[in-house]
Amino acid sequence: MTTLVNGEIDKTATGRPQSRGQGDWAAVAGQESRDLWLSGRGPLLLFAFSVLLSVFTYLAATNRAINFLEQREAVDQTLQIAVAVGVLVTLLVSADAISGERERGTLEGLLLTPVSRRAIVLGKLIAALTLWFATFVVSIPYIWVLGRGVSIVRSALLLGLGVGTLLAVGLAALGLLISALSGSNKVSLAISFFLLLAVFAPSQLPGGLPKGWFGDVLGKINPVGSGLHYSTAVLVNGHGWTRDLEYLISPLVLAVLAGGGLLILSERIVRLNPGGER
Amino acid sequence: MRTRLGLAFGAIAALAVIAAAPAAAQTTNGIQVTVDQPRITAVIGDRITIRAHVTNSGSTASDPLIAHLNVASLTGTYVDLEDWTAAPTQHVNPLDAHATTALSWDIQAVNAGRFDVYVVMLPNGPTSSGIGPAVASSPVEVTVAGKRTLNAGGSLPVVIAVPLLLGGAALGARLRLRRR
Repeated sequence: MTTLVNGEIDKTATGRPQSRGQGDWAAVAGQESRDLWLSGRGPLLLFAFSVLLSVFTYLAATNRAINFLEQREAVDQTLQIAVAVGVLVTLLVSADAISGERERGTLEGLLLTPVSRRAIVLGKLIAALTLWFATFVVSIPYIWVLGRGVSIVRSALLLGLGVGTLLAVGLAALGLLISALSGSNKVSLAISFFLLLAVFAPSQLPGGLPKGWFGDVLGKINPVGSGLHYSTAVLVNGHGWTRDLEYLISPLVLAVLAGGGLLILSERIVRLNPGGER
Repeated sequence: MRTRLGLAFGAIAALAVIAAAPAAAQTTNGIQVTVDQPRITAVIGDRITIRAHVTNSGSTASDPLIAHLNVASLTGTYVDLEDWTAAPTQHVNPLDAHATTALSWDIQAVNAGRFDVYVVMLPNGPTSSGIGPAVASSPVEVTVAGKRTLNAGGSLPVVIAVPLLLGGAALGARLRLRRR
C-alpha cells in the first residue's frame, strides 16, 4: 500500500496517515520522479534519445546532402527532432502513468493515501515533465555544436524550451487523460502513440501541408506542427518573436484544455476501474 | 556631303540615346522592369531578396502580367530553379498608365558559382497571352561562395561523449537496481 509519510509516498506502509497538505502534489511528484529515474527507465530513454541526436548531428556535419543545409536550418532541424522526440517520450511515460499503475496493482495503494486525486495527477504530470526537461538539457550540447558561430544558439534554446514545454505540458496532460480513461495500458499507449503520429504526420507530407486556407487552418490547428512552424519562422526565416505568435495559440489551447480538463476531471476519472466504481 | 554628315550625326545621336538609356531597364509596349541591385555576393545557403519594379510607361493600362524570375549560371553549374525558389512566378494585376508596382522574390543560393538572376515580364491578357512580347530586366549578378557549414571534427566529441555518459548512467542505474 502507498501512503504519504513525512511528505513522501511510502508504498510499504499499511497505515493511513491523516496528512492532507497543500504540498501533496510535490510529494507525489517527488516519488514518481524517483520511480522514473531510479528504476532506470528514465536514464535508458535519455540514452536512446542521445544516440538519436548523435546520429543526426554527425550526419548533419558529415553528409554532403545534409551538410548543404544552411547552418540555421541544421540547428532548426535538430531542435525539431529534440522537441518531437522529447515530447514523444513524455507522452508515452504519462500514458503509462495511471493505466500502468492500475495493471501493476499499485494504483489501489496510491488511491488509499491521504492525497487528493488532483494532487496525484498533478504529481504524475510533473514527474513526466522531468523527462521532457532532461531531454532538453541533453539536446543543449548538440544545438551548441551545430549553431556556434551564427549566434542563434541562445534563440534556439529559448525557443526549444518555450515551445517544447508548452507542447510537453499539453501532450503529457492528454496522455494522463487517456491513461485514466483507458481500459488497459496497451490501449492507452497505442492511442497515445497514434495520436502523436497523427499530429506529426502532416509535417512529413512531401512538400509540407497543402497550400490554401484549408492547409493554413490545418497547420494552425495542429499544436505540434504549428509550434514547430513558429520555431522555424523565428530561427530560419528571421521573423521577429511576435510576428507569428498566432502559431502558438493551438499549443497553448491544448495545454490549457488538457491540463485544466485533467485537473477538473481527476476526482472522477482516476479510479481502479475506468468507468466503474471508485 | 550634307546627307552623309546628316546620317553620321544621326547615327551618333542614336548611339548616344542608346548609351544614355538606363542599363537596368528594357521597354516593350510600355512595360519596363528594373532590378534594384546590379550584383549581390552571398555564401551558399544564404537567402537573398531580389527586388524589381515594374512600370507601365505607356499611356493606357496594361494587360495582366506574369513576372517570372530566372537563374542562369555563368560558370556552367547546373541550375534547378525549383531549388532556388518555390515560387518563381508571380501574377501582376493590370498596371494603369504610368503606374509602378514593386515585386520581390526571396531566393536561396543553393549552388556555388556566378549566376545571372533576371526577371521576365509576360503579358497575360485575353489577346496578348501566349503571344508576348516578353520584357526582361537587366540581370543581377549573384556570386555565391561555397562553404562547409558544419565541421565533422568539431561535433565528434559531443556526438560520442554525450551517449557514453548517459549510457554509463543508465547502466549504473540498472546495476544498482540489480544489487538491491
